[in-house]
Amino acid sequence: MPKLVARFAENAFWLGRYIERSENIARIIDVNAAFARDEAGEADWKSVVALYADLEAFDNGERAFTAEDVAYFYLLDRDNPNSVRAGMAQARENARAIRHLISTEMWADLNMAFNEMRGWTRREVRSTALAETCARIVTDCQTFEGIAEGTFRRGEPWLFYQLGKLLERADQTTRVLDIGHKRLDPGADEPLASVYWNALLRAVSGFHAFRNRHSVSSGPSDVARFLLYDREFPRAVALCIEQASERLRSLEARHEAGRREPVEAARRALEFRLETGPEMELTGEALHVFLDQLQMELGRMSTALAQSFFR
Amino acid sequence: MRTSETSASPAGLFEGYDSGGYFCELFGGDAGGRTLPSALVERLQRLELRALKRRAKDASQQLMDLGITFTVYSDRDTIDRVLPFDPIPRILSRTDWDQIERGVKQRVAAINAFLDDVYNDGKILRDGAIPAELIKANKHYLKAMEGFHPPGGVYAHIAGIDLVRDGSGEFRVLEDNARTPSGVSYVVENRHLMMRAFPDLAEGVGIANVDDYGARLMQALSALAPGGMRDPCVALLSPGVFNSAYFEHVFLAREMGATLVEGRDLVVQDDCVFMRTTDGLERVDVIYRRIDDDFLDPQAFRSDSMLGAPGLFAAYKKGHVTLANAPGAGVADDKAVYAYMPRIIEYYLGEDPIIANVDTHICREPEGLAYTLDHLDQLVTKPVGESGGYGVVIGPRASNRELAALRRQLKADPSNYISQPMVDLSVSPTLAGAGIGPRHVDLRPFAVTGRDTWVLPGGLTRVAMRKGSLVVNSSQGGGSKDTWVLA
Repeated sequence: MPKLVARFAENAFWLGRYIERSENIARIIDVNAAFARDEAGEADWKSVVALYADLEAFDNGERAFTAEDVAYFYLLDRDNPNSVRAGMAQARENARAIRHLISTEMWADLNMAFNEMRGWTRREVRSTALAETCARIVTDCQTFEGIAEGTFRRGEPWLFYQLGKLLERADQTTRVLDIGHKRLDPGADEPLASVYWNALLRAVSGFHAFRNRHSVSSGPSDVARFLLYDREFPRAVALCIEQASERLRSLEARHEAGRREPVEAARRALEFRLETGPEMELTGEALHVFLDQLQMELGRMSTALAQSFFR
Repeated sequence: MRTSETSASPAGLFEGYDSGGYFCELFGGDAGGRTLPSALVERLQRLELRALKRRAKDASQQLMDLGITFTVYSDRDTIDRVLPFDPIPRILSRTDWDQIERGVKQRVAAINAFLDDVYNDGKILRDGAIPAELIKANKHYLKAMEGFHPPGGVYAHIAGIDLVRDGSGEFRVLEDNARTPSGVSYVVENRHLMMRAFPDLAEGVGIANVDDYGARLMQALSALAPGGMRDPCVALLSPGVFNSAYFEHVFLAREMGATLVEGRDLVVQDDCVFMRTTDGLERVDVIYRRIDDDFLDPQAFRSDSMLGAPGLFAAYKKGHVTLANAPGAGVADDKAVYAYMPRIIEYYLGEDPIIANVDTHICREPEGLAYTLDHLDQLVTKPVGESGGYGVVIGPRASNRELAALRRQLKADPSNYISQPMVDLSVSPTLAGAGIGPRHVDLRPFAVTGRDTWVLPGGLTRVAMRKGSLVVNSSQGGGSKDTWVLA
């Protein structure tokens, strides 16, 4: 079996990651904007910035926590490394490096999406256009993912691409849940919380799935349980981790070196952490701490992959 | 399709087209001299300008969409540029091609024999057929290659021989490229583009296929793997994404089925070359390198190179890895050595050149310098060490001030220059501005040498998109055309 240059494994991993990240950022901006419309401008844009730990970077004296400023910062600002535009540029550079390993269609699609995004201006994040802009980003990312599903050879580059995508998706789900944890708290105002849940679930395309699985009387901890542990929901953290583990097993089977201890340790730690969740109350501060820990374990897994495969 | 051949005159799409006294690739010269299938010429003439423009625009959009671009990086942005594509093909008859193919093979054979001689016995230098100091003091001469015979005696595995057609319709060699000639990806991509944009144009014509370049190259390089091993690991060594030709490196790696690597992916242990993979180190047997000699190996050459791999050259000298092209091959494509190519061909092959050089005055020789200084305003003067059209002064088009500056430079450093008469480069009908106009073209056929030499039918036709311009280099605003070799 032909072996994969280590550097290309890293490119494939980050290609998957950046596409997934771009999609999720657009989802989060969109849901916050939708919430703002429902609540006549009461949306909390600061919490979005806090969610990505960008309070310091955002506060340059010129920006305010308004829909337009925050949306611009996260969708279009080239100087913000966490923006969709920067993420798509990164995705494209990673794709460029492995153009010989991905399908022509994947490259052409990403290239076209990126070239179109280049022409975007502040107009795209004004309130009348924002929902449409977010929807386009989400669609662009999903189109790419669909093309990858249909054309990307199931070799090693694909396995690393999948690992990047799945770890990023798990991470983003914990962040969406985190952004809502205060509002999901049972102590909070009921109607507000319910509007927020709905928006939150819609942000991860989980609204109907959740309604389908849980009764009308379900509470905030049910949403958390759903986003973390549902067996059928593709963005649920546990399902992402389970799929990532399958990819790791495929790699193991292909490699003469077999199992990599740092990766195995990170995987076990992640699974162990996930198993402790159901025993606790998934609300309030406890939930926040738990999500923090999950994010840390996901970070450790990334580091272990880099150590074992990318150098 | 009817195969009767006529020398047609401009009509239809080409109504009012005037080649301006130059030899035209479609209609020939004043005395005719062009014989292409009349049905094909008629088909081209039936094209409508508006439709042609629309399809050309679509084609160039496709290039952008597919990212068939060369990329320029600035501090905060990547700028993708498309090599302008002209939709009117450049057509070579079977007779044209037979001569080109034989001429290019002859040239490549002479280049390889010459390189093996100068790095080993040095007979040609002792016999005085070419001045020894021209070779030994050449900046591309690699002393480290002395006494070494590369596998199969091949130095220039991939060669690009730049041809032009003069006013009388004769092909001439303008330049040899024996190091890392680029542009072959455009030959293949232009064909794909052409067949998508104009599927009706080529129908039933019978055009030589260019699709198997990657497979041919892979085959040729594999055949020269160390120890004649079967199924060697072949890697293409690229300087990386910041190189403007990165698209071509990716293209070739994919077409060849080779692994694309950068210097940082390679590691040399016990004089063997390995690449870092996700599953440990993997032995590399053949490297098609797209980086210059200087940067190949910081231990052997430039110590500040970040592009190569330390120890690579030692592994090569031990015969543990095959490099294509061989280090030091550049001494054969030097513009000063070019002037001696007819003598080199005669010396090794005992043949006259099948394709003649452009007449060349060597300024390192007193007569050459004197002639050049006397006729500066009529000659094209070229620095020998440059490529990509840089530093070329076209006498009849230069200002007095430019000529005065050139005169000073020539006197200060004569051996850095050659001069040639103005060649009336042939023209090809090209979509330009409001209609169709004559634009100057050249041709770079690509020769691949393993156990024997194969020439990709056609090659890259570069076209000077600016009216009257003779500079076809992509770095100077040149474009390209699909090149058809008729079956």
